[in-house]
Amino acid sequence: MSLLDKRILMVTGKGGVGKTTVSVAIALAAAARGKRVIIAETSGAEVVPPLFDSLRGGYEPHPVSAGVSTLSITPEAALEDYVVQQIRFRSLFKLVFRNRIVKPFTDAVPGLHDAVQLGKVFDLERASRPGGQPLWDLIVVDAPATGHGLTMLGSAQTMMDLTRAGPMFEGVRQVQEVMADPVRSALVLVSLPESMPTSETLDLYRRLDDQQRAQVGAVVLNSLYPRPLPQEDWDAARPLLADAPPAVAEAAAMVDRWQGRVQQQADARAKLAGIPCPLLELRHRFDGSPDAAALLEMGEALLAQEEA
Amino acid sequence: MSCTVVICCGSGGVGKTTISAALAVKWALAGKRVAVLTIDPARRLADSLSIGELSNAARAVPIEGAVDGGALDAMMLDAKATFDELVERLAPSPAIAARILGNRYYRVASERLGGSHEYMAMERLLRLAESGVYDVVVLDTPPTRHALDFLKAPDRMAGLMDQGVLRWLVMPARKGGWRALELGSEAITRVLKRLLGQGTIGEIAEFFDAFVSVGDGMRERSMAVHALLRSPATHFLLVTTPAPTARSEALHFLRLLVEKEMPFGGFLINRFRTPPQHALSPDDIPAALSDTARDALLRAHRIQSSQAAAHQRSVDDLLAAGPPAAGRWLIPDQGKDIHDLQGLAALGTTLPSPDALR
Repeated sequence: MSLLDKRILMVTGKGGVGKTTVSVAIALAAAARGKRVIIAETSGAEVVPPLFDSLRGGYEPHPVSAGVSTLSITPEAALEDYVVQQIRFRSLFKLVFRNRIVKPFTDAVPGLHDAVQLGKVFDLERASRPGGQPLWDLIVVDAPATGHGLTMLGSAQTMMDLTRAGPMFEGVRQVQEVMADPVRSALVLVSLPESMPTSETLDLYRRLDDQQRAQVGAVVLNSLYPRPLPQEDWDAARPLLADAPPAVAEAAAMVDRWQGRVQQQADARAKLAGIPCPLLELRHRFDGSPDAAALLEMGEALLAQEEA
Repeated sequence: MSCTVVICCGSGGVGKTTISAALAVKWALAGKRVAVLTIDPARRLADSLSIGELSNAARAVPIEGAVDGGALDAMMLDAKATFDELVERLAPSPAIAARILGNRYYRVASERLGGSHEYMAMERLLRLAESGVYDVVVLDTPPTRHALDFLKAPDRMAGLMDQGVLRWLVMPARKGGWRALELGSEAITRVLKRLLGQGTIGEIAEFFDAFVSVGDGMRERSMAVHALLRSPATHFLLVTTPAPTARSEALHFLRLLVEKEMPFGGFLINRFRTPPQHALSPDDIPAALSDTARDALLRAHRIQSSQAAAHQRSVDDLLAAGPPAAGRWLIPDQGKDIHDLQGLAALGTTLPSPDALR
């Protein structure tokens, strides 16, 4: 079953591995295949719109490219949205939740912030067009990094443990049902081909429960360097450089490091292959941060590998 | 004798953990008694320090060749264990401690409390700084989404421990009704009941009823942390890379530090690509070399030159946006992972010496 058959993709991984890049790449490629896609940011940083030269941000879904919209789900906005849905009156929300006494208390309820963010993802999943078809075919969630990502994934369960009954329990139970459904929701784990990100990815996988492990739809290995030349060619060339002038010796040391990195990539790939799901790869881009066209190309590359 | 506190902050993936470890190793080698605390549950610090497993208790890292007196302890924060210990220490009696520790809300909260990791990291930091055992304590900060969460944690805990809040929250347990003294209390009661259900509110109230006895102590600790974070012996080091996203997050964090009057110690710019020292002309390359090897040499040189130029521009932008006399340390890209003490010690040559922080 392909990633594009899901309704929700939760993209997580260690900080700095390229979660946003992968989220946007998948979204663009899905839209190119006719899907209506929305990218949900969870960090509040609103980094997606600028990739499309858009200045707009915020909690309301807004289009950034053909077939692709985005929104930023902050805990504050999601909490307000949730409570107002429940109690109907926005003025009452402000009275209660901005109250000097209630605010520190709601800040301290374990998992509440994460759970209301998931709740918004759930709302997006359920939203429909007038004809009854889903408003969004695919929701790509640019989820928090590993540790926090796990907390967020478990937050609906945490709220269920905490409330045990009542309206909120019923709400989070429905959210949990969708998030834990392997047909509708999948996890995408992003890693870099270096030893620490690789071991963190393996560690994350180990910390998932059986249910969540079954939901891992793909591991994406980002930023792979191409081999500069076959190792045997380099081994043959190296002795000829023993007495080379300093400029050449310096460049040779660079090639040595590059070859070393490629070797390290092979180790990372071998380790991550232990996770039973497709291992998709993205090449390193020497030309800096990718623009929208490059992101689409990256997404196409990921989907093509998944289908192969 | 006062203890220097060094807090390494920055966005995810910039190398905070490795740099924290390298700083700690460097200063231990220079003769300081150093503790390094990570809250990273991914056990990466243990990897770099080559000590297999880290725990909540301090573990000595064998440092060879340290100046007399130099020593290094490493530990990983266990937020729940730290919270439990704090409750046991502050509770007026073992019975009350047991009542708190056994409460279901407490058990869920202490493990998964939003911000409890951040708060407990600060509590632990304070304990280490007060202990008198260390000259320097290095904190590898949690990967928070909002830098603000981390800096705000102590104040937020103090807010929660505020007597007014506690009194209000414990009302139902004491008087059998959920009433607040404030205007709008009826509406608040109605809304919370409707959202959470009466049962949950009762349990939370019970928890706060027991917790009120440690409230004073908790608030004192929070205030001590608040003061420690603003002490002249504390230095916030912003770890970043030349990548544009890391750079803008570093600047965002810097604004928060200034706003919160916390002492900025300087930028540590990691994975900086240095330019090649020599220009490379194709004529320099021995003629006997294969075409593929020749191309690889030229390409590696070209890529490093352009990356170095891009990094230099990025660093110039960062420094121009920071305070004029900010400390800055450029840490060249190592081109490989560091996973042992020798690697950390080598990295240390590019990091601030113990006296360089003002």
